[in-house]
Amino acid sequence: MNKVVSSRFIFTIPALIFLSIFVLLPIFSVFVMSFSNWDLLSPPRFVGWSNFARLFEDKWFWNSVWVSIKLLILTVPMTFFISLALAVCLYKETTSSKILRALFYWPYMMPAVAGTTMWKWLLSYDLGLLNHVLKSVGFNPVPWLLKPTAALIAIALLRTWGMTGLLMMMFITGLQSIPEELHEAAKVDGANRWQMFWYVTFPLLKNTNLLVLTTDIAHVFRDFAGIYVLTGGGPGYSTMVTPLYIYNTAFTQWRIGYAYAMSIVFLLISFAIAMVTLRVRER
Amino acid sequence: MAKYIKWIFLFTMLIFYMLPVYYSIASSFKGLKEIYSYPPTIFPEKPTIQGYKEALQKQDMSTYLKNTLFVACVATVITVLINVMGGYGLAKGTFIGKIALNRLVVMTLFVTAQVIMVPLFVIIRRLGLINNLWGLILPAVYTPTGMFTAIQYMKDIPDEFLESAKIDGASEWAIFWKIVFPLSKPLIAALAIFSFTWRWNDFILPLIVVNRRKLYTLQLALAVIQGEYGGVPWNTILAFSTVSIIPTLIIFLVFQKFFMRGITAGGLKY
Repeated sequence: MNKVVSSRFIFTIPALIFLSIFVLLPIFSVFVMSFSNWDLLSPPRFVGWSNFARLFEDKWFWNSVWVSIKLLILTVPMTFFISLALAVCLYKETTSSKILRALFYWPYMMPAVAGTTMWKWLLSYDLGLLNHVLKSVGFNPVPWLLKPTAALIAIALLRTWGMTGLLMMMFITGLQSIPEELHEAAKVDGANRWQMFWYVTFPLLKNTNLLVLTTDIAHVFRDFAGIYVLTGGGPGYSTMVTPLYIYNTAFTQWRIGYAYAMSIVFLLISFAIAMVTLRVRER
Repeated sequence: MAKYIKWIFLFTMLIFYMLPVYYSIASSFKGLKEIYSYPPTIFPEKPTIQGYKEALQKQDMSTYLKNTLFVACVATVITVLINVMGGYGLAKGTFIGKIALNRLVVMTLFVTAQVIMVPLFVIIRRLGLINNLWGLILPAVYTPTGMFTAIQYMKDIPDEFLESAKIDGASEWAIFWKIVFPLSKPLIAALAIFSFTWRWNDFILPLIVVNRRKLYTLQLALAVIQGEYGGVPWNTILAFSTVSIIPTLIIFLVFQKFFMRGITAGGLKY
């Protein structure tokens, strides 16, 4: 038994080495520097907890957390069900499903900046294709990126559009790990398609569901390039998500230490949400 | 009935997902005048490849292409290897701290590149990897999403497979290479597709690691060129993004072959 124990740990070592050097070490350094004031030019000055104390009174920080959570609520259920439905339609190895998979993966393939710039153009008030379509069927054009709520919805749509390809591929991978016999057994027992999905396939996808949910939450919380290009956080602070707020604090105001303190707190909030997801699913 | 619903759903989704893609490809064939005209045209009225000519000829594209291909291919091979191995260890191993390590992987999912950019730069410089293509590869081969995907996939491989091999006297290495690795074909395919996409489209790492033109990747070149010339015309950008998707599409189509329905079929009988 002991031999098995130690030898399976060995398989994780290469990954752990890269993880330690290029992820954990930088995070540790972010943690240490979050107790300092630092502008990248002069040497950092130790200031104890004061960055964290300031953060709790920073209403724009908490506003940005709330914006991130609103995005989560708007996006995650939508991406989850669309990509699951697509995967169920496309996981069998037929020619049509192979082609369609590539098409649905395409938005995710597009470089974030190029894809988003495309959307920005489609959504533009007076030149955009979307408002052109709306006008031609008799609706009023919508100033998508100029109204707080519309801008948030636009970003949610963009996230859904951009993430589905990745999540669909995760679902397909998961669906393919399910042994075929289980389906056949259910079919023999007289289950219809719906019953087969809800009582056989879906419960077996437990690990994949968890993977997709957590990945999607993490991506919404981490999204930077998309929002940076599409709205830059505006109008006002209505789409100023936390990573963008942190980025502005660090690289336009050069308050690196304070930005790091915000990163640590935001990371803890993200973990809390991820842990809730894990707990619910692991039950 | 169910069949009709399926196709109606697929077509509706296809329109939503492909509209921007179609529009960007169509616009890449438009002339400059047409691209800024209103109302927008759905089909290019006077199709031209002027945007493509600009994108491909103006700069040293073949060098950038070679750099990006090298980085994406090497990083993908390493990523697949360490993630499949690590995922197996973390899903099927039993050792002290396993749960904590699994949680740690989940946590790394939430780390934004912007946040660790400064310390990461310091580490890469200490390792002497600045202005070195390996500096674009090594820091990127541990990918939280890839690792987490691998763990979750491995959990679905039935323990019976591993146990029966153990009873037959197979060593841990033999179990991994002869049973787990072949059973992981869909996972390997997915990881290869993801990893190639990520490295191909990466922008932040090249931005902080490379400043010699000779070592630029495609994404970095596009961004820098845009800045230098006060904005590249739209049709050039769209042509560029259309062209730059082709290698990822090829990788997708090649690795898609590894997907197969019922990969564990038959295995459960013994």
